[in-house]
Amino acid sequence: MSEPNTALKKPVSVKKVILRLLLYFVVLDVCIITLYPYFAMLCTALKSRAEIFSPNGTVLPITALWSNFIDIWSRAPMARYMLNSVLIAGGSTIIAMLCGIPAAYALARMKFKGQTAFLGVIIVSQMFAPVVLLIGIYKVMLSMGLTDSILGLIFINAAFNQAFTVWLLRGTFMGISAEMEQAATIDGCTRVQSMMKVLLPVAAPGIVTTLIFIFINAWNEYTVALCLISTDGFKPLTVGINTFNGYNIIEWQYLFAASIFAIIPVVILFMCIEKNLVSGLASGGVKG
Amino acid sequence: MSTATKSAPAGERLPAQKNPGSSGKKLFRKVEPYIWIAPSVILMAVFILVPILSVFQMATSDVSRAGKIKGFNGVDNFVKVINNPSFSLVLKNTIVWTIAVVVISTVLGFMLALVLNNKFRGRKVARAIVVFPWATTLVIQASAWDFIINTDYGTLNTLLMKIGLISAPVNWTPTPEAYFAWEIACGIFVTIPFVTFCVLSGLQSIDASYYEAATVDGAGYFQKLFSITLPLVKSSLTVATVLNIIYVFNSFPIIWTMTKGDPANHTDTLVTYLYKLAFYNGKQGEASAVSVIGFVILLICASVYMIYTLRKGDEDL
Repeated sequence: MSEPNTALKKPVSVKKVILRLLLYFVVLDVCIITLYPYFAMLCTALKSRAEIFSPNGTVLPITALWSNFIDIWSRAPMARYMLNSVLIAGGSTIIAMLCGIPAAYALARMKFKGQTAFLGVIIVSQMFAPVVLLIGIYKVMLSMGLTDSILGLIFINAAFNQAFTVWLLRGTFMGISAEMEQAATIDGCTRVQSMMKVLLPVAAPGIVTTLIFIFINAWNEYTVALCLISTDGFKPLTVGINTFNGYNIIEWQYLFAASIFAIIPVVILFMCIEKNLVSGLASGGVKG
Repeated sequence: MSTATKSAPAGERLPAQKNPGSSGKKLFRKVEPYIWIAPSVILMAVFILVPILSVFQMATSDVSRAGKIKGFNGVDNFVKVINNPSFSLVLKNTIVWTIAVVVISTVLGFMLALVLNNKFRGRKVARAIVVFPWATTLVIQASAWDFIINTDYGTLNTLLMKIGLISAPVNWTPTPEAYFAWEIACGIFVTIPFVTFCVLSGLQSIDASYYEAATVDGAGYFQKLFSITLPLVKSSLTVATVLNIIYVFNSFPIIWTMTKGDPANHTDTLVTYLYKLAFYNGKQGEASAVSVIGFVILLICASVYMIYTLRKGDEDL
């Protein structure tokens, strides 16, 4: 009785081991390919210009030239670009949230005429990247005197992230029972108070996820900034780092050193929300 | 008023006093939701709706180089755009770009999600690495790839030569078409994480008992894949695909960073083409017409998505 049992068990486990090895092989390959561009960027950022263009190049830098990471701050107004990116991303996040929270609250907690229509508009406007409307945006900004200004970019980013904000927050709010707020209202709280004191603290994880997501989106935005900003002092990092990508000479080592500075904060933030974002998308976006 | 209420009997006074108050409250109740959504509506109206209207107005107007509207000219801009020989090339590129990137990244992203949905050591790290590119701005990714595939000093050649796979540097971009193919590859690379992400979230909501029951019934891996997994992640996959079509269609930074649509529109898509028309060539009217064409294509995609989402929402209720 025991013999056939082990005989039956063995081939299964061998197959399992092979599958497992295959799985690790695939996962490892995918990870290597995914990280390769970043690895190449880091290596290049540590090379001298001569070494990059040398015909017998190496993958790793011969001597790591960490000074590239310091040089970029004097070769271009990097600190200024960084500050602009923080201002733009931070400003748009604040405005998007200030407008988005009440709208999401109304959609989750009230019934009103045009609710479905508003939801429809939200979904449709989610579809439009600013690129297609760039000429119109430029025109509107021109009439408001907001071209070539950080404030203009803040408004555009806030507006184009609005759909996503409302959608995600609505999902978060709808996932929270309204009972506590009703109790608070009976105790004499106004709607605003019950939202601020009862709903928002409970919804904090979803709010933080949304917040960080908008921040990352705005931080990474390139096209509108490229189009609207002409003064060097107002450029965000995504546009500013192209100082090193000139018409005649590309300073790859500086471009990539600066790029790494632009990537790091976003990656850290993204890692914080990665897990929540999946469930957020699932409850807010995907499942309706 | 106070004298009037004073003289009235108590029984009549109460409802009389209650009525104006409650109707005011009723009115407020009716108006209240609109106050709550007002900031959001205003923000989107000013910075999205007005630009849309402005694009439509310019598309049907004679616009000077400086951007001044000189009057309605019907479909002249559209005729000019469509008669331009490069437009059909640009449109073809856009379709190839969108379909290639979306289809390939959806298939690969789906497969990757299936792999990552297995339980194994280091799964969390692997997942974090895979979604990594999603958080990086496209400009930087595009420059990295542009550097990697460079013939003279790119790291791909260096790497392959060091391993011994090739003996001399390979020109990876001999033709504009080859360059465009690399741009598509880059597009796929940056799109996969989003698909994987959406599918993973769908996969995680599937109850394990379905698979157990199927295993008991003797179902093989592919049988389970096609009769359990696929139907259940279909909705996440559909939403991811529709969103991707729109994102990829609108994608500007990759092509702009790598080739700027050159040479001679060979790698242009609608968005890079209209950017050049508007801001390099000063043909804002024609550029707006291109915008409208893109807009209409997107609107069709968006309405399909909207109908799907809203209908699904109703079913959930």
